[in-house]
Amino acid sequence: MSLKGKRMGLRVWALAILVVVGVGLFVAADEGTIKLGAILPLGDITGAQASKAMQLAVAEINAAGGVLGRQLELFIVDDESKPDKGAAAVDLLATVDNVDVFIGGMSSGVHLGELPALKKYEKVTVWIGAASSLVEQAAVGLDWYFHIHPWDYLQGASYVQGWADLQTQYPLIKISKVFWAYEDGAFGTSSFQGSLVAFSNWLNSGEPFKSALLGGGDYRSVLRHAMDYDPDMFVWVGYAADALPMMEQAAEIGFTPPLFVGSPPGWPADFGTSPLAEGVISYGMWAPSIKDVSPVSQHFWDAYIAKFSEQPATYFAPLGYTNVYVVAEAIQRAGTLEKQALITALEATNYASPLGETLTFTPSKLIAHQGFRNQKILQWQDGQQQVIWPFAYATALPRYPFTGK
Amino acid sequence: MRLLRRLRRGQVLLLLVSLGVLVLMMLWKPYALIEGLQRGGLYALIALPMALILGVVGIINLAHGEFMMLGAYFAYWLGVYTGLDPLVAMIPALVAFALLGAATYLLTIRRALKAPELNQLLLTFGVAMVGAEFANLMWTSQPLKPHLSYVYSSMTLGKLRFGAYAFVYTVSAIVLLVLLSLFLRRTRLGRAALAVGQNPRGAKLVGIDINRTYLAIFSLSIALVGAIGAMFLTRNSVFPSAGSPYTMKSFCLIALAGIGNLPSVVWGGFGLGIAEALVLSFRGYGGWADVVFFAVLVAVILGRSYRRQTA
Amino acid sequence: MRIARYVPYLVGAAVAATFPLFSGAYLEQVAGATLIYLTLALSWDMLLRSGQLGFGTAGFFGLGSYAAVLLFLNVGVQPFVSIIFGGIVAGVVALLLGLAVLRLRGMYFAITTLALAGIFAVVLRNFPSLTGGAEGKMLPSCIFSGDTANVYWLILVVAVMTIVISEVFERTRIHVALTSIRNDERVAKSSGVNVFKYLVFVFAVTSAIQGIAGGVYAHVFGFVSPEGSFSANFLLLPLAMALLGGIHSTWGPVIGALVLGALSEYLKLQIPYGHLLVYGAIIVVVILFLPQGLSGAARAWRGRSHAARGAR
Repeated sequence: MSLKGKRMGLRVWALAILVVVGVGLFVAADEGTIKLGAILPLGDITGAQASKAMQLAVAEINAAGGVLGRQLELFIVDDESKPDKGAAAVDLLATVDNVDVFIGGMSSGVHLGELPALKKYEKVTVWIGAASSLVEQAAVGLDWYFHIHPWDYLQGASYVQGWADLQTQYPLIKISKVFWAYEDGAFGTSSFQGSLVAFSNWLNSGEPFKSALLGGGDYRSVLRHAMDYDPDMFVWVGYAADALPMMEQAAEIGFTPPLFVGSPPGWPADFGTSPLAEGVISYGMWAPSIKDVSPVSQHFWDAYIAKFSEQPATYFAPLGYTNVYVVAEAIQRAGTLEKQALITALEATNYASPLGETLTFTPSKLIAHQGFRNQKILQWQDGQQQVIWPFAYATALPRYPFTGK
Repeated sequence: MRLLRRLRRGQVLLLLVSLGVLVLMMLWKPYALIEGLQRGGLYALIALPMALILGVVGIINLAHGEFMMLGAYFAYWLGVYTGLDPLVAMIPALVAFALLGAATYLLTIRRALKAPELNQLLLTFGVAMVGAEFANLMWTSQPLKPHLSYVYSSMTLGKLRFGAYAFVYTVSAIVLLVLLSLFLRRTRLGRAALAVGQNPRGAKLVGIDINRTYLAIFSLSIALVGAIGAMFLTRNSVFPSAGSPYTMKSFCLIALAGIGNLPSVVWGGFGLGIAEALVLSFRGYGGWADVVFFAVLVAVILGRSYRRQTA
Repeated sequence: MRIARYVPYLVGAAVAATFPLFSGAYLEQVAGATLIYLTLALSWDMLLRSGQLGFGTAGFFGLGSYAAVLLFLNVGVQPFVSIIFGGIVAGVVALLLGLAVLRLRGMYFAITTLALAGIFAVVLRNFPSLTGGAEGKMLPSCIFSGDTANVYWLILVVAVMTIVISEVFERTRIHVALTSIRNDERVAKSSGVNVFKYLVFVFAVTSAIQGIAGGVYAHVFGFVSPEGSFSANFLLLPLAMALLGGIHSTWGPVIGALVLGALSEYLKLQIPYGHLLVYGAIIVVVILFLPQGLSGAARAWRGRSHAARGAR
């Protein structure tokens, strides 16, 4: 018994030594690469496509000789859309994989759980997701934190600008009375509340609905209330699963506001094939048609399809691509992985992104490094999403009013 | 005898009261009534096959909604490749999902019947997970929905304008209820299933092959819910997690009705649908619709248990 | 010989207590989350031993989270005090509701507890001025400033306390009472056991444990929201862990939680796309081939090897 125990002990020690030596060798061999740690929900199309776009960007950069003569190495960990899994992913990437920079991100709820872990390591973090202003409050004072996605209130402000521009440019369009139908979760509610503040000069009214994503999908009572209100513009804030049923139910009760706006994070693949899509306005950061006005977007589009034989279906694909390029270019500029130098280099970012706009970092309400501020106003025309604002990236003229046919 | 008469009087009273409520609602909130019947019809329709499995095989099938979701995908892709309308695709879906149901039963459920009761719960939970993840890997989480112009056809009655197509769920729920009741009372397999559901040991004694009955009922239920998935797709998007909320809704509805009580599943579904639509019809109180669903459920279950205890 | 029987427990306790000394932040984080689920799984099983299938785990977890966070934010007490307060709120609510719903049996009890959990979430969502509504509330800072070793020890204390309570329940009158309720309620009643009193007691205690777990979770990750705090994960995962490990015992849910917690993390790293498919398939296979759960299988295997040694 005791002999056996001793032998066991020896074996454990031998194993431990092996592991330590092994890890050491591994680390030594890996010294040459620059490590990016990405955290994304791989079970969702946003995270899955963002991760693929990141792989594409890393492959392109490495094929072109890497950064500072070193190859990029991408570690992707699934957060499973759970805050505890996201936090564990941060610890894994920081302590086991020893990544140099954190990238990635999707949901605000998950990111709130990740931030305490990120704050422990204080590594440079460049985040593409998490639009809730709660996240901004949690990220106050972090000089190493860079946030690319516009905050919810920035999106609201951007649409204020957009609609002001559109009304000036096209006097036919007149908006003074708006009805907001928003999904009753955090996403829809925060978006509605942000809009109330942003559009305080309009007459606003709103009502929540249960998204089809969470077992709802009957919008008719909300649509009827909207119809009674008789708005100049109707906006729904929900998910892709709501898109076509929303149009069908509006058609069913005969609701055709002059402007019918949908604001889901992504659209169903076949939305454009429905005649009900014609003239529907959408909010977003990107649409495939941007490739017609942006060479970077065109290159991204072609390269993504060539590599993965599928089309980028969400704006998180170009965001993921942007995420890697922004970091890689900053490291190149900094000439080192040293934190302060890298932060300074990131602050000087000026990247023409596949989303159309050029990305720079400037202070937002609470944090020092905010990337994009503007959304785009798009419109479904003949089955395609066209950009109608900002005019600089416009791919088509707006069609007005919405007819519901 | 007197008890019987009293019971009948009670039932007549209940019927009159519900008719009165319906008439009042027709006058007061006609849209809540129409749309409540339509959404309640969908709840009831999806719950019926689950009630069948629970009543006969005695299993809470946590993968119920996932089978519906797979049925919707089946109809979608059949439509893409052959141009078949989802409503027509219900027929091949019946066949395909009968086979899928039989395979699921033979490979998994059958082996867990003798195990402790709750194992079946975990088993169907595992099956649900596999089903949802399979769909996610195959078709991603991006929702799909075919364009069908007939689903938003509307009817005008006086000043009312409402969707006519969604009544397909209300009508289907009633038709399915009638067919299932006929099946359970009039056919040999149905009567055997009823007997097995009430008392498996007794049924075995009178020579009923329990395993075959379970297999038949499980396959039938999955075939039905697969076909219902195709019908679901006509007005809803399909995505990997589209089914799971309906598992819970169906389970709630069956508990509301009481196990083995198929008609009450349908009436309960209508009632819940109307109650939800009524709450939703008031501006500013839409956020409370979920509470209505749960509160009605809890109240009915508690009321029934209280009545049984005092009786 | 008697000491030898306790050796595995002592070793387990020593490993658990010193875990942060030889593991890094990542493993501490994973272990901490696993222990939260372990606590939920075990408390769920403690009620199940009376035959009552509760589906309210996520509901009391969320209630505890909210109570802890709201007290902490509005009154400014110590995090620990607020966590205990979360447990008390969940326990008291369970006590009051239990008086009504514990008369129900089987599926009806299960669905009613599930419905109550749903009601908690909707009610909290509909009072935005207090609860932050659909967006929830965020804490200005996390407990121990997010230090994973301290967080791990905190959760370990909660988990160990739950294990101790479970063992106490197993070894006292409560166990006899609960088991007799499960086996035959009528016999239990006629033998003079006050069935209802015990049920209410156990329901309140287990719900309080779930509330404490919720309070800890909220303080570790720093926020509450209706979608996050009442997530079905806090019902389904513990349930799967307890069933896979083996129900009606202390060690079954413990083993189940540790195995599934480690497995899900391992699979995730091995199979980034589609690990849940494998996870689900493993659950199916294990439950088919080990109907008594992992602990049942271990007992059977040990019994057999004991018998074999005896024969030799």
